Amino acid sequence: MRVALAEDGALFREGLQMLLEAAGHEIVGSVADGDAIVRLLATEPVDVAILDIRMPPEPDGGLTAAERLRALHPDIGLLFLSHYAESHYLMRILGIGTERVGYRLKEKVGSVDVLSDTLARIDSGEIVIEPVLAKRLVEKPQGDRKGLIAALSEREVDVLRLMAEGRSNNGIAGQLFVTPKAVEKHIASIFDKLGLQADTAAHHRRVLAVLTYLRAQREDG
Amino acid sequence: MAPDPLPAVLPGGADDAWHQRMRLERELHDGPALRLSALALRLGLLSHRCQDPTLAEGIGEVQDELHAVLEELRNLAGKLYPPLLDEAGLGPALRQVAEHADAPVAIVDTSERFGPALEGATYFAVAECLAALPVGAPAVEVAISREGDELVLAVTGLEPGSTGRLQETARSLGGRTDVGPSGSVVTARIPCA
Repeated sequence: MRVALAEDGALFREGLQMLLEAAGHEIVGSVADGDAIVRLLATEPVDVAILDIRMPPEPDGGLTAAERLRALHPDIGLLFLSHYAESHYLMRILGIGTERVGYRLKEKVGSVDVLSDTLARIDSGEIVIEPVLAKRLVEKPQGDRKGLIAALSEREVDVLRLMAEGRSNNGIAGQLFVTPKAVEKHIASIFDKLGLQADTAAHHRRVLAVLTYLRAQREDG
Repeated sequence: MAPDPLPAVLPGGADDAWHQRMRLERELHDGPALRLSALALRLGLLSHRCQDPTLAEGIGEVQDELHAVLEELRNLAGKLYPPLLDEAGLGPALRQVAEHADAPVAIVDTSERFGPALEGATYFAVAECLAALPVGAPAVEVAISREGDELVLAVTGLEPGSTGRLQETARSLGGRTDVGPSGSVVTARIPCA
């Protein structure tokens, strides 16, 4: 895959470059701020741009660069890396795009398999959400939603957590070693118990419904 | 007359202290945290190059340990000065606390900013109230607004006895608090120039 990265920490940037190369990806360019990546991608086509959230231009150059990149080149996948996995940033990222985007903790992409899997899922159009964050959202939903989550079976909680990671039905089936048909049944049951609209056809709409439900609050400040 | 232990005007020292906290958080992020994250990548590279599955498994465990250390660092950074408070202000930072509370909490905020010292002191006072909410407590609302040159913080739904820190903080910042007739609404007004 052709990738470009923007990260202001030299040590981390170099480490990521080496890991990407080891994974067989082609690095088109590696820069230290948001403006530079926008300039770079004006002439160089890539599949996915990897962006640190907290870099120049301060405070969150990764997000502002991403907004510009999405407007200029809607087909480029965006992978956000951060020291923090917080729903505030997740909501901002989903405001930039709900397809071909990913948000992961920096220390959690430290393997060739995880890195390549993350890039491949973004390139195929999925939303990839840091499992640590997805797990936290499912285990600690907004106060009054706790009772409803408690009504889910153990397996349904597993499915909900994988949905919150942005995984497709097939992806969830693969993780849980069950058939996609079984996953569909679980999802229908979850949506029924949580009182969500069962629009399970459009993948990104379903992920958004789940995330909004778990988060319960909107950014309207 | 006994000396007032809580100065009416925010002393320069306190202001510096909040800036210092912010700088320390930033140092943690740019220094040890980034270095540890880079280590996780280097370990991944070693794991990729080694042919021994047992060794690769061991490396994976060390990476998990690094994640645990980083979680502790993030926790520590949050106690110094939450990065979200610096970057996005009281509303988003308190919303993050609300997500972890054991009762439903709604945050109604303004996009106005009030400076590191006022935001820091207010954040930690409200966060303490929210963290103390018992499981199943009734819904709480925290409304933040600006009226003239005052930061107005209206908290609805807290137990009357649980707002001590909030009132104390408001006083120490030269502000005042009014407790509504039923005791369920506490309004703090703090000068913000």
